[in-house]
Amino acid sequence: MNDYDNIWLHRLKWAYLLLVVLTLMTPVIYVMYVSFNANGFGANEYVFTLEWYGLIFSDELLIGALGWTVILALVVTVVAVPMALLSAKYYKAADNKLFPIFLLLSPLFVPPDILGSALLVFFKNLNLVFIWLGDQIGTSLFDSWFRLSFLTATIGLIIYTIPYSFVVILITMGRYRTEQTEAARACGANGWRAFWDIEFPQIRAGVFSACAFTVILVFNEYTRTSLLKGGFDTFTTVLISQMLNTGMSPQSYAMSAMVSFVAIAVIGSIILFTMLRAESLGRIARAKAEPVMS
Amino acid sequence: MADLSSHAVSGGHPVDADKAPWRAKLVPWVFRAPLIFMVMFFAIPMAMTVVFSVFERTMFWMEPGFTLFSYENFFFSARLTNFLSSMKYSLISVVICFVLGFPIAVFVRKSIPQVAQHRVVLLFILPFMVSEIIRVFALRPVLQRNGLVNSTLMELGLIDEPITALLYSHTGVVIGEVLSFLPFIVFSGFLAMEAVPKYIFEVCDDLGVGPWRRFKDVILPLAAPGIFAGSVFIFVNGLGVALLPNILGGAGAVNAGLIATQAITALDFPLAMAVSAIMMATLLSLLWIGHKLFDLTKILTPLS
Repeated sequence: MNDYDNIWLHRLKWAYLLLVVLTLMTPVIYVMYVSFNANGFGANEYVFTLEWYGLIFSDELLIGALGWTVILALVVTVVAVPMALLSAKYYKAADNKLFPIFLLLSPLFVPPDILGSALLVFFKNLNLVFIWLGDQIGTSLFDSWFRLSFLTATIGLIIYTIPYSFVVILITMGRYRTEQTEAARACGANGWRAFWDIEFPQIRAGVFSACAFTVILVFNEYTRTSLLKGGFDTFTTVLISQMLNTGMSPQSYAMSAMVSFVAIAVIGSIILFTMLRAESLGRIARAKAEPVMS
Repeated sequence: MADLSSHAVSGGHPVDADKAPWRAKLVPWVFRAPLIFMVMFFAIPMAMTVVFSVFERTMFWMEPGFTLFSYENFFFSARLTNFLSSMKYSLISVVICFVLGFPIAVFVRKSIPQVAQHRVVLLFILPFMVSEIIRVFALRPVLQRNGLVNSTLMELGLIDEPITALLYSHTGVVIGEVLSFLPFIVFSGFLAMEAVPKYIFEVCDDLGVGPWRRFKDVILPLAAPGIFAGSVFIFVNGLGVALLPNILGGAGAVNAGLIATQAITALDFPLAMAVSAIMMATLLSLLWIGHKLFDLTKILTPLS
């Protein structure tokens, strides 16, 4: 802000910004509010209760789905984030940057239902091809490789989450100066050591953010998962099928609120952690800069 | 890793030159593995939609062949009308998102100190991190006849009758699209404003240029690639996210994503693939036009 600006105009703009964030969050906050009401949505009386949350945890179907969601999120994160890291390293060193960036970012632009349908038909055909190949050489070994399953859901979700991890990691890598790797190499470190001891500590924040992003994205995803999963259910697929079949029940309010709480808690703690870290790093830097008085 | 960093260490021998030759050959492929994965499970399946769309439909599946029946089925039916009307509403959402969201990006870049900018943009990650599906579903109790908006307006005495056009209508879909995709125009606008140095605002002030001319003649041309990318994102997702019309829309609110998923439920796989192919063609031609007009690689400058 410069001196010529009107302070009230500045405050008005801030108010508008916060109003937009609040508007975007209103539906979620409202759902959270309704989820604690013993009488459910639209009731005249508001009685606070945790009853609906209790129902979630006594529902075995939901607990099973929650388990699958957690496993899926972990597997996708463990595979997708290192892949994004490798691609970011590749992109940094590549001569032709247009092809990798196009390939890695274009999943962002493909709508969920289109990507899901295309992969669904592709996997079904691939499965048929593998079965046919197996028949030709007389084995049934390949029969279930690409049947819709945990594997196909994982592949679909990796494609969905890689662009986000890639961008986050690439942005943190932008601050890393490659001369440091050169120095380490000149001192005799091999490629891996130079990366692990010198570069990784500096881009760690980006890698961890990418992990958190991936976990949340997988946890929240519905369309791609429901099209590509085999015989298992995730939290959101159970929730959405309940909502589509029987409408919003008090329990579905509680489930939606819970998913939102988890996401907000994860991202909130990251934001808090980054700010505290920046604060403490700043304090250390200031302490170092101060002259020693003796 | 080894081959990548040995570019940098020019002159001297790579320190680990004595390692097994097969390993030295393998390492570059490790770095290419993610790209190979993306080609195999993303680029090829998307390209194959064109091939599968001309296959013959059978009772439960499809068989190799060549027929344009699926395209006929799409272009000579109510599907085309629905597709075109969803394009119209998607475009309206893009305009609303831009009008509401882009000024925020300009404000953050112009009036907030550099160190705090990223934190302010992080605020918009918060709604984006709550499942989109849940946010869309949550709009039902908000916009419903006896929902939050109507009951608040009635309590304030602004309306006597609840507004019913807010949900199960095209308006509902547009509201859903704006609330779902607004953060994206803030993000892409924020990235786009990287191309507009801060001193531009001072230069404009010194020359006595008003805010509108500053926006039209200076900011818009400089930030065009980023704005375009954000707008294409919103437009294509407005066409392709089936749950928006499914949950918020009424009669006639059908977009390409919904046509595709309905075709899959009806086991008409070639039609679903034809819709996917049409969507990919729409997306690629939009990106191509954008690239010709604004050179989209400029957006990536802050990344490389």
